[in-house]
Amino acid sequence: MYKLFLADLKMLIRNKQALFWSLFFPLIFTFVFGSFFAKGDGGSGTLSIVNKSNTEIAKNFESSLKDTGIFKVQNDDSFDKAKELVDKDKVSVAVYIPEKFGSLEPGDPKKIKIYYVPTNRQAGSIIESFSNTYLTSVNMQVQKALPIFSVEKEEGNKPKFNYFDFILIGLIGMALMNSSVQGVAIAMSRYKEDKILKRLTTTPVKSWQFIGAEVFSRLVLNFVQVSLILLVGVYAYDAHINGSIFLVYILSLIGAILFQSMGFVIAAFSKTTDAAEGMSTAITIPMMFLAGVFFPIDSLPKWLSSIVQYLPLAPLLKNLRGVALEKNSVFDNPYNMGLVLVWIVIMLLIAAKRFRLSEE
Amino acid sequence: MMDTVISVKNLVKEYKDLRAVNNVSFEVLKGEIFGLLGENGAGKTTTLEMIEGIRKPTSGTIKVLGLEIKKEMNKIKEKIGVQLQSSAYYNYLSLKEILELFGQFYGKEVDALKLLEMVDLSYKANSYVGKLSGGQKQRFSIIASLVNDPEIVFLDEPTTGLDPLARRNLWELIAKIKDQGKTIILTTHYLEEAEVLCDRVAIMEKGEILKIDETHKLIESSKEPYKISFYAPKIKENALKQLENMGRLSNLGGKTNHFEMRLKTQTLLNIAISIIHEYKPESLTVGRSTLEDLFIELTGKRIEE
Repeated sequence: MYKLFLADLKMLIRNKQALFWSLFFPLIFTFVFGSFFAKGDGGSGTLSIVNKSNTEIAKNFESSLKDTGIFKVQNDDSFDKAKELVDKDKVSVAVYIPEKFGSLEPGDPKKIKIYYVPTNRQAGSIIESFSNTYLTSVNMQVQKALPIFSVEKEEGNKPKFNYFDFILIGLIGMALMNSSVQGVAIAMSRYKEDKILKRLTTTPVKSWQFIGAEVFSRLVLNFVQVSLILLVGVYAYDAHINGSIFLVYILSLIGAILFQSMGFVIAAFSKTTDAAEGMSTAITIPMMFLAGVFFPIDSLPKWLSSIVQYLPLAPLLKNLRGVALEKNSVFDNPYNMGLVLVWIVIMLLIAAKRFRLSEE
Repeated sequence: MMDTVISVKNLVKEYKDLRAVNNVSFEVLKGEIFGLLGENGAGKTTTLEMIEGIRKPTSGTIKVLGLEIKKEMNKIKEKIGVQLQSSAYYNYLSLKEILELFGQFYGKEVDALKLLEMVDLSYKANSYVGKLSGGQKQRFSIIASLVNDPEIVFLDEPTTGLDPLARRNLWELIAKIKDQGKTIILTTHYLEEAEVLCDRVAIMEKGEILKIDETHKLIESSKEPYKISFYAPKIKENALKQLENMGRLSNLGGKTNHFEMRLKTQTLLNIAISIIHEYKPESLTVGRSTLEDLFIELTGKRIEE
C-alpha cells in the first residue's frame, strides 16, 4: 500500500492542471482578497482630507480621524481636486476644513464640508456621524458644558480579527472542498471509465488498500494547500491566526476527509467522467457562496441561513474560524463538530454501499 | 492426457431482463490457446469476466487451477494475468512505473525493461501510456498482464480495432507467451484470428456455446468442407445446371460469370473441377472452407465488424 501511496502522490504532482486548480487557484483568491481587504482601511476605502486650517481644533480633528482606522486617509491640497477624486471613484469621500476653522473669531468659518457621491453613501454617513460626534464634543468643551447623557461602549475581549482573516479561513475551506470533491470524483470516475478499477480487482490488491492510498496521498496535497494559503495570508497580508495552528490543520484534514468521501459518492453515482465533473461543480459552487466562505451565513435571509447552516462546508468553517480566529478549542462548538462528523458518517456509508471497483 | 486448468460447468449469468450466459460448460487445457469466438453480445466477455472473478455467476461452478472461484479467488488472482477489453492504465505514470507498481500488487519485483523489450517498447519505458499508438497500447496491456508470471493469461479481444499489421504483431506476441508454457484463453470476433491462433475454439452465440472442438476439426466438421471459386465467361447454361446438382453453387458477389461452389466430398470436387476445366476458366481456386464458412453454417450469418 505504501508503494501505491507513493505512486498516487507522484500522479497527483504530475497532473499539472489539477495541481494548478488545487494549489494556485486558492492562492490567487488569497492574493485578491488580501490586496482588497488586508491592510489598514477597515473596508470603507480611502478618504481625502483637505485641511487649510492650522488651529488646534482642526489639527486634532484630522489626527483623530486618522486614528480611527476606519478609512485610509490621504491629504490633498484643494477641495476641488479632492471632489474630482471622489467623482472618479478614486476615493470614497472628501473632507474640507476651511482656513481658520476652529478659531473662535465670529467672522471665521464654522463649517467642515463633506463631499461624497450616492454610491458611497455608507462611507459618507460614517464620516458625517464621526464629524458630528467629534464637533459636538468640541462645542461642549468650548461652551464648558458637561454631557448629561452618553454612551458607554464595551468591546468584546475576544481576540481581534478582521474581514480578511475571516475570508482567509473561508478560502482554506473552499480549497479543501474544491480539490477534494472534484479531485476524487473526477479521478475515480475516470479510473472507472478507463477500467483501471476493474483491472485492479483482478490483482490481489484489496479495495481498502487502493482507497487508503488514494485518500492519504490527497491528504498530503491538502496539507500543502492549507500551508500555502496560511503562509501567503500571514506573511504577505498580515492575517491573524490567533488560535492553535495544529488544530487548524487537524480540522482541515477532517474536512478534507469529509469532502473526499463526497467525491467517492459522486463517482459512485456518475456514469461518466463528464457527469462527475458536472455533478461536483453543481455541488461545490453553490456551497462556496452559501456556506460562508466570503461572508457570514447570518447575513443571509433567515429562511436561507437556517437551511445552509447544514451544508457540510458551513459547520466546518464555523469550527475552523472558532479555532483559528477566536482561539476556541474543538470542543467549544460541539454542535458544529457533530454536524461535520455526521456528514462524514453519512458520506462514508453511501460510498461504502454504492462505490464499487467494478460493476457486477 | 493434458491437465485441465479451467473447468466451467453449467455457467449462467442473468441480468434483470437478459440471460447473458446460458448454461455454458467447457474446459481449458494446460498450455493451449483457447478461443471464445462470437459476435459482440454473444456472452464471451461476460463468461471471461466471471472466470476472472470480476463478475459473479448467477449459477454454475468455475474451477481455475483446481481452485473454486467462489472460495479461493484470492489464491487464483495470484496465478492469473488479465488483460481487459479496451482498458487504459494510469495517465501519469510511465510504462516502467506502471509495470513495477502492478508487480508490487503481487509482492513481486518486476524486471520492467525485460517485459517491455518483449514487445519492442523498451524505448518508451519512461513515456506515459497516452503517448502510445493503439497497437502499442494493446501490446503494453498484454505484458502488463504478465507481471506476476501467471500460469493462465486472459486476453479479451486483444486485437480489436487494430490494423492488420499490428494485429499480426500481436499474434506473434501471443504465440511467444504460449511458448513460455502459459495457458491462454482469449475472446475474439475475428474468425481468421481464431483460426490462426487457437488450438481449440468454442463458438458462442446468444449466451450459448454452439460448438466446441480443436480448430481444424471444427473446420472439417463443416458439412461442405470443399470450396471452389472460378471465373469462366464461356461456361454454358447446362454445365451450370450439372454443377448445381453436385453442390451449392452461388454467384459470387453478383459479378457476371464469377461463381463459388461448396461441395461435400473429394469425389464431387474432382468431377466439378473437370467440368469447369472444359470451359477454360480464366481463374480457378480450389480451397478448404474456413472457420468463417462454418460460422455462417452454424449461425446463418457473418460476423459484422
